[in-house]
Amino acid sequence: MIEAEAVNYAYRRGEPVLNDISCKIEDGEFVALLGHNGSGKTTLSRLFMALVHPRSGCVRIDGDDIAKLEPADLADKVGYVFQNPDLQILEETVFDEVAYGPRCKKLLEGQVQKQVEQALATTGMTEFAQAYPRTLSFGQKRRLGVAVALALNPRILILDEITNGQDKLEKQKIMEYLQNINAQQNITIILITHDMDIARMYTQRSIVLNNGNKVFDGATQELYSGREDLQEWGLHLPVLARLSSEFQVQALSPAEFCRQITVKAGGTL
Amino acid sequence: MKLTAFTQLIVVLAVTAWVFILPVQAVAIILALELALLLYIKHDRLTLAAIGALTIFTGMMILLQLLFRSPLNVALIGGLRMFVMTTAFLCLLAATRIQDIAQALVEKFHLPYEYAFMLTTALRFVPDFLVDSEATLDAQSCRGYSNRGNVFKRFFSYLAVVKPLVMRAVAKSDTLALSMELKGFGSNTYKNMKPQRLQMADYLVLLVTLILSTYSFWVGKI
Amino acid sequence: MSEAVIKFKDFHFAYLNSEVVLHDINMEIRPGSFTVLAGHSGAGKTTLCKAMAGIIPHYYGGRYAGDVEVLGESTQGKKVADLAMDLGLMLEDYESQLVSLTAGEEIAFGLLNHGFNPDEVELRTKKALEDVGLPGRENYQLDELSGGQRQRLLLASLLAVHPKILILDEPVSAMDPQGALSLYKLLNKIYQEYKMTIVVVEHNINFVLPYVTDLVVVEEGRIAAQGAFATAAKQVYEQENLRHMLPALWQIKFNLEDKFHLSLGAWRSEDEGLAEISKKFERVVVER
Repeated sequence: MIEAEAVNYAYRRGEPVLNDISCKIEDGEFVALLGHNGSGKTTLSRLFMALVHPRSGCVRIDGDDIAKLEPADLADKVGYVFQNPDLQILEETVFDEVAYGPRCKKLLEGQVQKQVEQALATTGMTEFAQAYPRTLSFGQKRRLGVAVALALNPRILILDEITNGQDKLEKQKIMEYLQNINAQQNITIILITHDMDIARMYTQRSIVLNNGNKVFDGATQELYSGREDLQEWGLHLPVLARLSSEFQVQALSPAEFCRQITVKAGGTL
Repeated sequence: MKLTAFTQLIVVLAVTAWVFILPVQAVAIILALELALLLYIKHDRLTLAAIGALTIFTGMMILLQLLFRSPLNVALIGGLRMFVMTTAFLCLLAATRIQDIAQALVEKFHLPYEYAFMLTTALRFVPDFLVDSEATLDAQSCRGYSNRGNVFKRFFSYLAVVKPLVMRAVAKSDTLALSMELKGFGSNTYKNMKPQRLQMADYLVLLVTLILSTYSFWVGKI
Repeated sequence: MSEAVIKFKDFHFAYLNSEVVLHDINMEIRPGSFTVLAGHSGAGKTTLCKAMAGIIPHYYGGRYAGDVEVLGESTQGKKVADLAMDLGLMLEDYESQLVSLTAGEEIAFGLLNHGFNPDEVELRTKKALEDVGLPGRENYQLDELSGGQRQRLLLASLLAVHPKILILDEPVSAMDPQGALSLYKLLNKIYQEYKMTIVVVEHNINFVLPYVTDLVVVEEGRIAAQGAFATAAKQVYEQENLRHMLPALWQIKFNLEDKFHLSLGAWRSEDEGLAEISKKFERVVVER
């Protein structure tokens, strides 16, 4: 369980980034953290990982305040996947890359092997175990980032804009892996994104930040029922959601929408 | 008083010569003037940190000399000279833009344009790399690499960051080189810039510098 | 019919020590068009962009066959700097394309290199900065500019030489939707004002829908569809594995047109599409 209580954060120059944010995420949830660029969503997630500490208020993981901790202390509880996969490649093989964390924690080699193999399997990267990380495609590098974060068996996974810059197929692929991780291993997933399509398809709960304030915290579904504030928050309602709500259907894909509307129309206009 | 980069370069070069020509007391006065000038131009944390770093560096050089059995006064004078020279360069960097220094080096000192441009490029990418290195350190930290501990441990942790940074640097430099090629980088780059013309102030300073440099000639004569 | 501004004739290409990346490319970019270049990651879109700028094969080396013509002349034997006077290229890592320390110097750089006199350089710099919405920022240091502003600075530096063609490779991949829409709005303004030809590589065609005239789809190094947007989009729709590249609304359009034997409009915006679908299927909405 991870929570923020009345958290405030500002840069040294004084610009406030987060104003009095409180939220609680229980084990096993799949949450979207939405907001425009600069809304504070990345900062909030960095607070969760102890990469920064709040100016006031506190962040707790499983009830314990993490104010005195650094990210390395939390690595076996929380995994963080950064947006840029290139900045971290250190080793010569994918296997060693994922093994870096467990080896840092001085685990026995047998245990390291086990954890790495599991992380690779969960992200569909087993076949690349001996590959040189730089030869991977962008989508594969992103999945490597997830495998690296999973190596220490954290119960919570935070992902920063990992669907940016990918084509639809790659986005779907990585989201499906995350869905499995959440469903099968009950790992809490916090997905930072501004992609409303992805949020709608894969998450049950959404937290929306706008200019450092929390403006929405509830079922993802509710964001798609024709709210006017979405535009104000810098978010964009996907057309499928608008159509679905107008025609009272549940459609997550264009083909599905057409199927449903055909049924409703009884085959003819 | 706005001096061209050329004049400032000449003065700095002269100072490096003076530390060997002039008596110790004069050199000490130069040091005091330099520090005053530097702090007048830029008294931010970075400048103070730079001065501090130079002081430590000089101290280390003095110790090293003592280790090699130099007499104390020789070591101290050596240290003083080094400090004055390096502080002179610091003043130069604080007072002039690197682009202007590069241009003067090409125009007046005939440095090949590729080398001069390296100065600007280096400065251009330093902030980017600082950001990248922070990001890489963050990523490492999130994997379980603890940054706590003594100075040595932290130093080694920075070393571990070097590899991904170098890779990134290579990729960036690829794009940069391509970009420069596309923009027509070549011998024309500095040729077509607005030339830096010497003003009255420049001539005055150059004259004073000349007089002070030939101090030994006329001081004996008088 | 005006001559195509960019023409690929039986063009094949492989990077040094690598597999063939582009196969048998026969493609034309129409003058004055706003073309979106789509395709899966790794399909060869960036390589195509570089070929258009003459960087491939002449700067990188590699094996090639066939020819690429820009404004009627082959890119063979041409210096990339000369080609850059007619064709501006913005790569995905636009930050690394910025070479100078201040905004003014960045724009002046290319101009000075091509022998423009300092006064002309000053004028063009001023205009270019105004065109991209950064007026008066000549003396701004790079680190005083935000990421989006730096991108617009690079755009300004490309525009200053008055090119006829602009190519942008995934310009908004790191942006949020508002940032993306704002960049494309700016691009459209420049496109209209200077009557340029624009080629944009973009995954999310929704962003460019209001402006696009032509579509080219690349799949595994081959052209899978090309032509005026509506025609090419239909071609794409007919290939099931490529269908998802189209905006959701257009997939719905073709689907409904097939099922109900309709003819729906060539929608330029979600509102337009939604309005027409709502109207045509009014009966369905009313019946609950």
